[in-house]
Amino acid sequence: MVCNEFLTDIILTELEDAVGKENCSTREIDKITHGVDFFWLSRMWADRGRRMPEADFVVSPKDATETSKVMKIANYYKIPVTTWGGGGGSQGGAIPVAGGIVLDTKRMNKIYEVNTEAMYIECGTGAIYKHIEWAANEVGKATMHYPSSLTCSTVGGFLAHRGIGVVSNKYGKIDDMVLQMEVVLPNGDIINTSATPKHAVGPDLNQIFIGSEGTLGVITKAQLRIYDQPEERRFRGFLFQDMHGAFAASRELLQKFKPSVMRLYDEAETASLIKKIVGVEKKGAFMNIAYEGVKEMVEVEEKILLETFAKYGAEDLGSEYGEKWWKEKITFFYPGHMMDLPQMFGTMDTIATYDKIEKIYWAMKNAIETKYPFAKFIAHFSHWYEWGCMMYDRFIIDGEYVPKDPTEALKLHQEVWTTGIRTAIANGGVVNDHHGVGIKLGRFVHEQYGPAMQVLEGIKKQLDPNGIMNPFKLGL
Amino acid sequence: MYMSEKSKQIIDACRFCWMCRHICPVGNATGQERNTSRARALGLSVVNRGAAELSPDIMDNIYECQMCEACTCDCATGWDPTYFTKEVRLQAALDGKTPDYINAIVDKVLETGNIYGAKELDADLAAAIKAHAAKEDVILFLGAEARYNVPTAAQNAIKVLEAAGVKFTVLADEPASGYALDWLIGAADETKQQMTDCAAILAGYKTVVAFDPQDAKAFVREYKEYDLKVGAIVTFTAFVAGLIKDGALKVKNTGKAVVFQDPYQLARMLEETEEPRAIVSACATLNEMLLNRKDTVWAGGSFMAIYNPLVSELVSKERWTNAINVGADTIVTASVSEYAALKATAPEGKTVLSIEELVLSAL
Ligand SMILES: Cc1cc2nc3c(=O)[nH]c(=O)nc-3n(C[C@H](O)[C@H](O)[C@H](O)COP(=O)(O)OP(=O)(O)OC[C@H]3O[C@@H](n4cnc5c(N)ncnc54)[C@H](O)[C@@H]3O)c2cc1C
Ligand code: SF4
Ligand code: SF4
Repeated sequence: MVCNEFLTDIILTELEDAVGKENCSTREIDKITHGVDFFWLSRMWADRGRRMPEADFVVSPKDATETSKVMKIANYYKIPVTTWGGGGGSQGGAIPVAGGIVLDTKRMNKIYEVNTEAMYIECGTGAIYKHIEWAANEVGKATMHYPSSLTCSTVGGFLAHRGIGVVSNKYGKIDDMVLQMEVVLPNGDIINTSATPKHAVGPDLNQIFIGSEGTLGVITKAQLRIYDQPEERRFRGFLFQDMHGAFAASRELLQKFKPSVMRLYDEAETASLIKKIVGVEKKGAFMNIAYEGVKEMVEVEEKILLETFAKYGAEDLGSEYGEKWWKEKITFFYPGHMMDLPQMFGTMDTIATYDKIEKIYWAMKNAIETKYPFAKFIAHFSHWYEWGCMMYDRFIIDGEYVPKDPTEALKLHQEVWTTGIRTAIANGGVVNDHHGVGIKLGRFVHEQYGPAMQVLEGIKKQLDPNGIMNPFKLGL
Repeated sequence: MYMSEKSKQIIDACRFCWMCRHICPVGNATGQERNTSRARALGLSVVNRGAAELSPDIMDNIYECQMCEACTCDCATGWDPTYFTKEVRLQAALDGKTPDYINAIVDKVLETGNIYGAKELDADLAAAIKAHAAKEDVILFLGAEARYNVPTAAQNAIKVLEAAGVKFTVLADEPASGYALDWLIGAADETKQQMTDCAAILAGYKTVVAFDPQDAKAFVREYKEYDLKVGAIVTFTAFVAGLIKDGALKVKNTGKAVVFQDPYQLARMLEETEEPRAIVSACATLNEMLLNRKDTVWAGGSFMAIYNPLVSELVSKERWTNAINVGADTIVTASVSEYAALKATAPEGKTVLSIEELVLSAL
C-alpha cells in the first residue's frame, strides 16, 4: 500500500518507466472516472456527492510485456492492482476499493489476427467487444457475442465475469467462445493457455482464468471464435398464459433444436418493459424466439417451434414483436429507458435446472416482496440449455423508499441482496449467472461453495501470495 | 460555475452510461477511460455536487473532446454531451479557467482570424484569389484552414470551379467564420461578434459556397441560432456534385479504387453524405469503410493537432486502420484538416486525395 509522498513519487517514476509517462496518471479526472463503475452502490455514492475509493495510480499498459513490468513493481511494493476493462461491470469488480494501481486494459486493444480459416480473432483484451464485432463484419463474419453492453465492455471484462449475449442459446457463453488466452500472472510471468480448448492435458487453464475477475492475473490476449453470418434469422413472438407452460414448452423445444434467442418475460415485466418498448398490450408471459442459420434448416426449425409451442397453448404473435425486440434490444439500457437513481435496483441473475428454476423465481419474489413491500420484483429468462435456464431477475425500489443518507441506502441495498441471493442458493440456484461476483456478492461465494472454496483459495494463494490482485473481490 | 438545467440533465443522464464509448474517436485512439462522454459527465457531476473542484485536469478533459457528435448521433435517447461540453468551455472562459494552451489559440484567432496566427497568404494562393476579386453572385468561402494550413487545397478548390466555368468571388481579406471561436469557447460575445461581422460581408452574395465543412456547419447551425442572415449556403461538395450532374463539369472515371472519409460536419451535422459520393463515384471506383456516412469517424487534425498532436496522430492512424481493413489504398477526403492529418500519418504505399484533387485528376 502506498504510504507516503516520497514513496509514491518513487513508485510513480517506476510505473512511468514501465508504460510511458502519458499512460500513467495521478490526475484527478482519471481517479474519479475509475472509481465509479456500473455497480449501483458506486453510482449512488457519486450521486450523493461522495467520492468513491480511488486509485493512487492509473496505468494503461499496451501489451503483456508492459503489464508484466507493472506486476513486478506492484509485487515488490505490495501495492493492490485492480484491473479495469470498460468499467461496465455491475458488481463493483473494477473499483479499486483498496487504492493502489488501477490497470486499465483499453490500450491493449490491438487486433492481431482475423483468421477465417480457423474462425477466430486474436486480440488484446482491452478491445471493446463491438470493435471485435466490426473486425468480424469486415470479413463477412460475426462474433455472435451480443450482450446489451456490446459497446460498453471489453473482451477481458466479459472473460473475467463470464459474460453472455442474446444469441447464447445457439452460440454459447463467452467461456464457450475462447480458444487460447495469454495471461500475465501476479509475479509478472507471461503464460499462454493450451493451443486449443479441447484436450486431455489436465484441467482447462482457460477456465481457471475465465471468471477470475482479475484476482489471479491479467488476461492480456485472447482468441475468440467467429461465425458465419446466418443466411436467415427469423423471429416469433408468443404469449403464454403463465410461465409454467413456457418452461415446459421450452424444455421440450431444446431437446429438438437450439434457437438463438429465447426470452421469456414474467407477467410483471411483460406488463411493464415489454409493453413500453415492444408494444405487447396483452396479459400473460411474452416469449420471443429467434432461430437462424442455413435457410432450409430455419424452415424446419420454424415448423418444429410452432408445433411444439402450440401443444402448450402459446398464442402465436407472429414475427413483428420479435423483430421490434431485436431492433430495440439495446434501447432498454439507455438512460431514460431503464431504471435510474433515485431508484434502487439490481439484477440478481441466477441459473438452475428446470426442476428448480420456477421454484426459485417464486421463492425470491416472495422473499423480496414480503420483506420489502415497497420493492417490485420482475424477471425474464434469457439463456436456456437442454437442462435448465437462467433467470434475469430484478428488484426495483422507487426513490421515495430509498434512504437519503447514503450509508443507510447502502445498508438497505446490502440487505435486499442478502435476502435474494440466500433464497436463490437455498433453493438450488447459484450466486450469479453472468454478471460475476465483484465486491457486491463476494460474501456469498463461501456460502455457495462450502469446503470447495479451498480449491479457489489454494489457486489464489499459489499465484498471488502477496494478495495484491483485486483485493476483496470474488470472496478471495 | 454556472450550469444550465439542460446541461445538468444531460450530465446526469450520461454520467452512468457506457453505451456510446465505442464510437468516440478520441477514446478509441487513446484507450483512456476519461475520453468518454460518461467520464466527462461524471467528472462534472462530481463538481456540480461539490465533491471536486473544476480542476485544471478536469478542464483538460473538456478539451479532449473533438465535439464530433458521434456520441450524440449514437445515443438512442437523444442526449447530446457536446451541449454541456460547449457550455463548460464558455463558462470556463468567463470564469478565467480556460487552459493556457487554449487561450493561446483564442488569442491567435482574435488577432488573425485563424488558429495558426498566420498573417500572410501563400504567394501562389494570393495570386489565384486575386484573379477572382470581382464581385459575382457566388462567393467561394475558402476558410482559414485551407488558406493558412493547406493552401494547395484552396488553390485546387478555385481550379475546380474555374474548370466548370463558374463565375465566383474569392475575398482577399476573407473574414473568420467564427467556427474556431465557437469550438474553443462556445457562444461567447467574441464568437457572436466574429459571426456577425462575417455574416454582414456574406450577405452581399446570393450563394455562399463553403469549401470547409467546419465553416459550412457554422453558417448553417450557429448563424441560424444567432439569427444571422447570409445568402444561400451550399457546401463545396454539394455545389460540385451539382456541376457534374448538370454537365458543367465534365469528369471521366479514373478507375482508381478509393474509400471516402465523410467529414463529420457534413455527414452528421449537415446530413450530407450522398453528394460527395456522387463526385467520388463519377471520378473513381468508390468502396466503403465499415463506419461511413453518419457513423463516420473523425480522422484527426484541426485544433487538436495544435495542442494535442499525439491524440490527433493516434486518431488519424486509427482511421487508416479502418481503411486498410477494407483493403483500401487511397482515402478521399472532403475536409481540409482531415486531409492534412491523414497525409501526415499515411502508411507507406497509401495515399490521401482531397476531393478537389480527385476531380482535377478526372478532368
Ligand atoms: C448497459 C449494460 C448492459 C449490460 N448487459 C450485459 C449483458 O447483456 N450480458 C453480460 O454478460 N453483461 C452485461 N453487462 C455487464 C458488463 O458488461 C459485464 O459484466 C462485462 O463483463 C464487464 O466488462 P468490462 O470490460 O466493463 O469490465 P470491468 O467492469 O472493467 O471489470 C469487470 C471485472 O473484470 C476484471 N477484468 C477486466 N478486464 C480484465 C482482464 N483483462 N483480465 C482480468 N480481469 C479483468 C475487473 O478487474 C473486474 O473484476 C451490462 C452492463 C451494462 C453497463
Ligand atoms: S450520449 Fe447517450 S449513449 Fe452517450 S453517454 Fe450520454 S446517454 Fe449514454
Ligand atoms: S463529441 Fe466526439 S470526441 Fe466528444 S465525446 Fe462525443 S464522440 Fe467523443
